Amino acid sequence: MPRTDKIFLDARELEHPIPLERAIAAIRELEEKNYFYMIHRKNPIPLIELAKEQGLGVFSREEENGTWHILIARDTSLDLEALCNV
Amino acid sequence: MFSQNGLSLDQAPPISVVFRFFLSGSLFGLLAGVLTLLFGTDIFNADTNHALILTHTLTLGVMLSFMFAALFQMLPVIAGVRLTSPTKKANLVQYPFILGVLSLLFAFYSGKSLFFIGASLLLGGSILGIAFVMLKNLAALQNHSNSSRGMSIALTSLVIVTLLALYMTGTLSGLLAGEHYEQVKTAHYSFGLFGWIALLIISISFQVIEMFYVTPPYPVFISKSLPQRLFGLLLLGTTGSFFFEKTWQVIDLFIIVFMLCYAMMTLRRLSQRKRPIADATVWFWRLGMSLLILSMAATLDTRFYKVASLQAINYIFFAGFALSIVFAMFYKIVPFLTWFHLNAQGYFTAPMMHEVVHPKTAMKHLYIHLATLAAFLVSVYFAPAIYLAGSLLILSFGWMLWQIVHAWKLYVHTQKTGERFEMTMPEAEG
Repeated sequence: MPRTDKIFLDARELEHPIPLERAIAAIRELEEKNYFYMIHRKNPIPLIELAKEQGLGVFSREEENGTWHILIARDTSLDLEALCNV
Repeated sequence: MFSQNGLSLDQAPPISVVFRFFLSGSLFGLLAGVLTLLFGTDIFNADTNHALILTHTLTLGVMLSFMFAALFQMLPVIAGVRLTSPTKKANLVQYPFILGVLSLLFAFYSGKSLFFIGASLLLGGSILGIAFVMLKNLAALQNHSNSSRGMSIALTSLVIVTLLALYMTGTLSGLLAGEHYEQVKTAHYSFGLFGWIALLIISISFQVIEMFYVTPPYPVFISKSLPQRLFGLLLLGTTGSFFFEKTWQVIDLFIIVFMLCYAMMTLRRLSQRKRPIADATVWFWRLGMSLLILSMAATLDTRFYKVASLQAINYIFFAGFALSIVFAMFYKIVPFLTWFHLNAQGYFTAPMMHEVVHPKTAMKHLYIHLATLAAFLVSVYFAPAIYLAGSLLILSFGWMLWQIVHAWKLYVHTQKTGERFEMTMPEAEG
């Protein structure tokens, strides 16, 4: 399996709209071999919609404590669910 | 904006829908400044036409314009309500609304029936029309949050405020006898100030304070039931006042307690932010809540001391509260919408949020706003200061107008000259 690099953002304590601003900046820089991994206190639907509209691979899951894990990759064949730490 | 309920990009209203209401609100704000210069300290005497004209310029022209903008923006975000054809709806509301406000101001000035009738038709049609559409969409929601429930109640209050106003304009135009004019007048401003303005701010704050400023949520006893209790009190006050003259004196005491609880809890939540640095919007919220507390204290005092200056100070505190929150929301919404819409359209050269409205620019507006409030307070005791207050009010809304024009110019410029980014996978070569 080829090596994939994780671009990580813990946005749980960042005030709105900094998480969205940083996330969009990060996914613009995505390459085929890496993926974006964000932890957030909310499910960032605008980010997810925007990534989907751009044809990126997206996966999100909520932890029991309400924390959201959002994974976005340029390579849509990447198994993001397997890369999710929840 | 972020929402757990979910916001699709398709659901977000066009940026022009929100900006056009901000624009008209700012222009009415400029008019309020000019009227202050023309009317002087007459505006503090509630029995004068000048006070009526300025009050309605602020509450209808300024506040309702900004609140329409907030509703068009926040209903999809906070409540997950999708308003179809938002641009068409905004046009159908805004033009008759502006004409209606101007007609009402002329009616107060001239006392002519024609203007009262015109205002009734234009304002009644536009406000009731959009409130009905929004309420219908809210009623169709399967799952309500505390915010969406509160917004529904606030909109219901707006309908009541408007119906009561129609009774009053009907009386003033000579179409109705107006036997219950005094009771209706008290109910009209009580519902307007607490059921509409305060309740909408309260409902939106349940979501935005936690979301924007990373604070713990409001306690359930506030977020779950405050809007319903407040609305219940207003209904009780309105119906009771037809039978018992002193009903509002008792009801007002409960309203004061509720408002104080809410304002103190909001200040507490803002003190629990994890980020130590406070931007202008946090200070606008803090100022707004402090002014609400002072306004409630002044309301309590006016129950015991019938002093004209205290009443005038109370008007300034309450107007200061509402405007502070409007400014706080404005400086969050304008940069975000400009940046977000351009990003959603794929513009690589989209300006960052701090380039749309720089944090220092918002901070300068906070100082202008503080100076305006101080000048109004001084003018209660030293009349010539009213000219400084009026000038500062013009500067305050002029400042705001400039931010809207600047953001719009940046938006259009980026659309015309911007580079679009493409995040999709490139086609495989060969």
